[in-house]
Amino acid sequence: MVQILKVVVHEHQKVAVVAHTRKRLLIVGNGMAAGRLLDELLKRGCPQLEITVIGDERQGSYNRIMLSPVLAGETRAPDIIGKPSSWYRDRGIRFVSGVQVKAIEREQQCVLTTEGSRLRYDHLVLAVGSRPATIPAENQDLGNLFSFRTLRDVDKLLNLARFHHLHGRQTDTDALVIGGGLLGLEAAYGLALKGLRVTLVHRSGWLLNRQLDDTAGGFLKQVLEQKGIDFVLSDEVARFTGSHQLTGAMFKSGRQLSCKLGVIATGITPNKELGLAAGLAGERAVAVDDTMATSDQHISAIGECVEFNGETFGLVEPIWQQCISLADRLCDNTRTPFVNAPVPTKLKVSGVNLFSAGEHLTKAEHRELIYRDDNAGIYRKLLLKDNRIVGVVLFGDTRDGQDYFAMMTEKQDVSAIAPLLLMGRAFYRAEDSEAA
Amino acid sequence: MSMPEQLIASDTVNTTCCYCGVGCGVTATVANQQVVSVSGHQQHPANKGRLCVKGSSLHETQQSPDRLLSPMLHGEPVDWDTALGYGADKFRAIIEEHGPDAVAFYLSGQLLTEDYYVANKLMKGFIGTANIDTNSRLCMASAVVAHKRAFGSDAVPGCYEDLEQTDLLILVGSNMAYAHPVIYQRVAKAKEERPELKVVVLDPRRTATCELADVHLPLRPGTDAFFFNGLLNFLAEQNSLDAAFIRDHCTGFDEALAAARAQVPSLNAAAGHCGLDAQELAQVYHWFAGTDKVVTVFSQGVNQSSSGVDKGNALINCHLATGKIGRPGAAPFSITGQPNAMGGREVGGLANQLAAHMGYDNPDDIARVEAFWQAPNMARKEGLKAVDMFRAIEEGKIKAVWIMATNPAVTLPEAGRVRRALEQCELVIVSDCIGNTDTAKLAHLVLPATTWSEKHGTVTNSERCISVQKGFLSAPGEARHDWQIICEFAGKLGYGEHFTYPHQVDIFREHAALSALDNNGQRGFNIGALAAIDRAEYDNLRPIRWPVTTEAPAGTDRLFTDGRFFTPDGRARFVPIQAKAPGLAPAPDQVVMNTGRIRDQWHTMSRTGTAAKLLGHVDEPYIDVHPADIQRFGLTPGDLAILGNGQARYYGRVKEAASQRQGEVFVPMHWNQKYALASCADDLVNALVDPLSGQPEFKHTPVTVKPFTQAWNGFLLSTGDIAPACEYWAKITLAGGYKFRLADGRLPEDWLAWLKALYPAITDWVRVSDSGGQFFRAAGFIDGVLSVVLSTATDKKSAPEMRWLEDQLNTRIDANARFAILAGTPGAGVEDVGAIICSCFQVGEKTIEKAIADGCGSVETLGERIKCGTNCGSCIPELKGFFK
Repeated sequence: MVQILKVVVHEHQKVAVVAHTRKRLLIVGNGMAAGRLLDELLKRGCPQLEITVIGDERQGSYNRIMLSPVLAGETRAPDIIGKPSSWYRDRGIRFVSGVQVKAIEREQQCVLTTEGSRLRYDHLVLAVGSRPATIPAENQDLGNLFSFRTLRDVDKLLNLARFHHLHGRQTDTDALVIGGGLLGLEAAYGLALKGLRVTLVHRSGWLLNRQLDDTAGGFLKQVLEQKGIDFVLSDEVARFTGSHQLTGAMFKSGRQLSCKLGVIATGITPNKELGLAAGLAGERAVAVDDTMATSDQHISAIGECVEFNGETFGLVEPIWQQCISLADRLCDNTRTPFVNAPVPTKLKVSGVNLFSAGEHLTKAEHRELIYRDDNAGIYRKLLLKDNRIVGVVLFGDTRDGQDYFAMMTEKQDVSAIAPLLLMGRAFYRAEDSEAA
Repeated sequence: MSMPEQLIASDTVNTTCCYCGVGCGVTATVANQQVVSVSGHQQHPANKGRLCVKGSSLHETQQSPDRLLSPMLHGEPVDWDTALGYGADKFRAIIEEHGPDAVAFYLSGQLLTEDYYVANKLMKGFIGTANIDTNSRLCMASAVVAHKRAFGSDAVPGCYEDLEQTDLLILVGSNMAYAHPVIYQRVAKAKEERPELKVVVLDPRRTATCELADVHLPLRPGTDAFFFNGLLNFLAEQNSLDAAFIRDHCTGFDEALAAARAQVPSLNAAAGHCGLDAQELAQVYHWFAGTDKVVTVFSQGVNQSSSGVDKGNALINCHLATGKIGRPGAAPFSITGQPNAMGGREVGGLANQLAAHMGYDNPDDIARVEAFWQAPNMARKEGLKAVDMFRAIEEGKIKAVWIMATNPAVTLPEAGRVRRALEQCELVIVSDCIGNTDTAKLAHLVLPATTWSEKHGTVTNSERCISVQKGFLSAPGEARHDWQIICEFAGKLGYGEHFTYPHQVDIFREHAALSALDNNGQRGFNIGALAAIDRAEYDNLRPIRWPVTTEAPAGTDRLFTDGRFFTPDGRARFVPIQAKAPGLAPAPDQVVMNTGRIRDQWHTMSRTGTAAKLLGHVDEPYIDVHPADIQRFGLTPGDLAILGNGQARYYGRVKEAASQRQGEVFVPMHWNQKYALASCADDLVNALVDPLSGQPEFKHTPVTVKPFTQAWNGFLLSTGDIAPACEYWAKITLAGGYKFRLADGRLPEDWLAWLKALYPAITDWVRVSDSGGQFFRAAGFIDGVLSVVLSTATDKKSAPEMRWLEDQLNTRIDANARFAILAGTPGAGVEDVGAIICSCFQVGEKTIEKAIADGCGSVETLGERIKCGTNCGSCIPELKGFFK
């Protein structure tokens, strides 16, 4: 460890002596990862870097998590744009918007844009993110069938939603949303708030099946039903109907539903093609080491387009850690290894609090503790193994999620406080201090 | 009705307490038809201003949720005419077909003398059977017979002052500290003022009363008569007899001494029989011999025995032999259990008495009473005493029974058998103020009676003192006075003209007149001087000790002061006693179960059980066990154990008690099926009775003992009264409802289903469950009001009871506080953060507001200070909202 650090320091001194001009840092992609990386770099004050950002969207970096409030009309689009153009200008960062990178020319240390221009770099950061996953349904190339990924998607949906009352065609539902994960739920909720009749289709038997158990999923479904969303669970779209415009869907079960628009929000696929085409290592995405370096020492990668120890990423927390690790290396030549620590899912779907960490499905080996208040819509489940928490599912009241998560990661023996555990730290912590 | 109206209007009323035989005077403060407070009546001779905890709580036991407000026929409310018509028709039909001995009354020392009088008159003079007995049979019957054998009359020689004025007070089988607390306090004060006053307690248990004792003799149970036979022999050997008194005022001394000497010829023999240290025993014998003024108080430890009468006479023999009677500070003194046990004896409301201290052994008495009552159907022989009466019900010989103001389904020996007998009885009538006693539940017809503060009439305490228990509140609902109910019933049977009393005082006058009829000083009970009392005098009767005659118009503090007794020859009789061991000896694997009172409960708890305060001292049936027996039977203090006798079981919590003798356990007598599923001590007591008094042996039952193996334990708080479905439960009254302590040998498959079966109407449940089975907790709400809490555990510590939680019952619970309800505590040290704004770091509204108040001026500073908004950033618009 110490040995490696010495080598790095030595190389840095060499670079500093040879190239006395500022080092050109080129960031491809301008999503949340890129935005965060910029914050981390600026925080460190990096006068030796000349930073350029290329993004295919027109806006500056915005908070993609907030698309659903924008769709719902709870938040305006400008409010989620953390970095407008002026932000880059004020900080001496070159911002190239609405431009896509077509290829990386590693030998020359430059990238080729779709417009045909080339940009040179001393160090390249890939932060190209991901794209909506496709589904194996037929006839997806239709008008009015959207993904839910960008402000542009939201704009299109809003436009359509605004006019849907003008189209008088009688349909079973207004909007068909495919996908009962976080993204699909948010899209469905946003559309419902716009006054559309929404039907959400999900392949699993319950919503958020990767984070919740069937009971919590049931609670969630109940809450969303009250907000006007219908659900088709344990079913999939076999084929969409319509010749140019979407008119409905046929399901594997044989069910048919007519609709006016559709949204596919089943997940994401890493944008690995740019990197892999340039010969960077990687399978599911661009492979990085624990300092976010790719197989090319002049190229780093962060965010949803990377693969670390075979894992890809979709939640912000580990990506924030990646940004820290990379910024430390680029600015300070400090090695801050990225650790892919377990991350709790803390979701705020449509005003409903959810928290999920570790295992979420009860198995025979687990001791299962459950708190349930049907009237208040509160459900808490802790899974214990060998007197340690190995899973947390909270619905409706997530106040103690962090505490449970800490106990889980610290592998704390909770046997003595088990009866009070579910009632929250106000009770089991009080017990601790009394015992002491 | 018969309510004295001037009493309703007044703010304070002097009455008497409805509990024990001390008969304390009570001053009640009344406002808006409610007793708002009580205090001891300063001028009452029994207590002189003092009250015990039960008496002090009288006003807290006024509002029973189980108060019976209407006659109930087969569980349905009916009007009085229908109710009494039904009862009378059935009585008449049974009498016509099977004769008058096929019906019975079972009365209570809780009744007033006037109630007692008309019941006795109706049964013995008009229905024509002496099948009228009372719960005094369980309490005083042995002392009654002992008094009659020795004195020729059922008369307590002394008064309470004697207990203070004596120089040696011997308490035999009396836990006075609990059973007669005010007398105990009086003695304690006297001893404080005169430390030379010696107190000796004879009791197998080291009871609370022993705190006052100079010497406690933990004699082997049931050996009291050996002790007094030994004492009589010792007195003779020591030349400590009062030869003149024996010669001038007694008969039968030689035979009595011979019997005593033959059985207990020496001090060592006495010590051996009684299992006592010979030196300690000698000390007490010497004290008795050498002290001029001795009072020997005896109570249930003597009376509740298969040879209780003999024990009483063995004791009285010693007082007669030394002339320690009829003088201040010198008397054998029987202290009674109930407020009007003596009043019942005065009217003769027992199967082996006739009326007014007259008996069936004297044909003149029968003729005299028959004429006085103008009785058409005079009973001419004794009836069945309590145990035999219920045996006759079981055998179908008695087909109709009317039970008034008592709970024999709990209190008689082999109580389970009594319940089964009542279940198959053709007609069971119960009159009571409470509609769901264990006995009332078995009745076909239940009649609502008035209770303390409503009923009005006289009672007589242990020292022959007659007081007025006053009616000053109107009766709720349809409730009527017992005497009115009886008289109306008599009317339905066609005897109305003999039972037409405008007021209680009219009954009292008749009773007083009968007591004086042809008395000539031969019968102890004589209140002839009160036979012309007017209503105002009656309503405000000054407490007065009988006899009350023209010679003694102010009453009589002490009897036998002239050495004259109520026997035909005027002499007291020594009774030769062959002391006997209790009826059944324990087998090698058994222990002896003793029963008795606890401090704060009264009888079957139908009144005292309703006050949370009175369950604070002892709240659950228990078993006092000697440490060596805990070892021997593998018991654990604090756990449940089961006592068994035949099919009967008593479940109680084990208390380690060095106060017990090895091989003997003690259990409280109060619990019944209203307060515990299977903790009725009398279910186990054998129906062995004293052949003379018919009093059962409650103090000596061989039983098995074993630990209760529980699969789970816990508690249930409930605003409503229910019967939990488990093997053990005991109910404890709380301010907001009830607490049930639970245990069972088997775990339910589904706790919530178990709970919902008990509370089908509740739909709002919150619960925590554990697949590991360690615990389950649930709370049920009705319109936000906490109605039920269940907490169970398979270990002994995971379902702890919490006082705070009990206080929440029947209150509205904030949605946020539901966690606290299941935790059982309000929680500490963690502030309420309010609605969560930042999901990532779980930062709540209130925390944010506080940070802003503390100087955070922007979203960024909030993030630096409390991290909100620094992860996913979704809450930033909301955070901005705090600054608008």
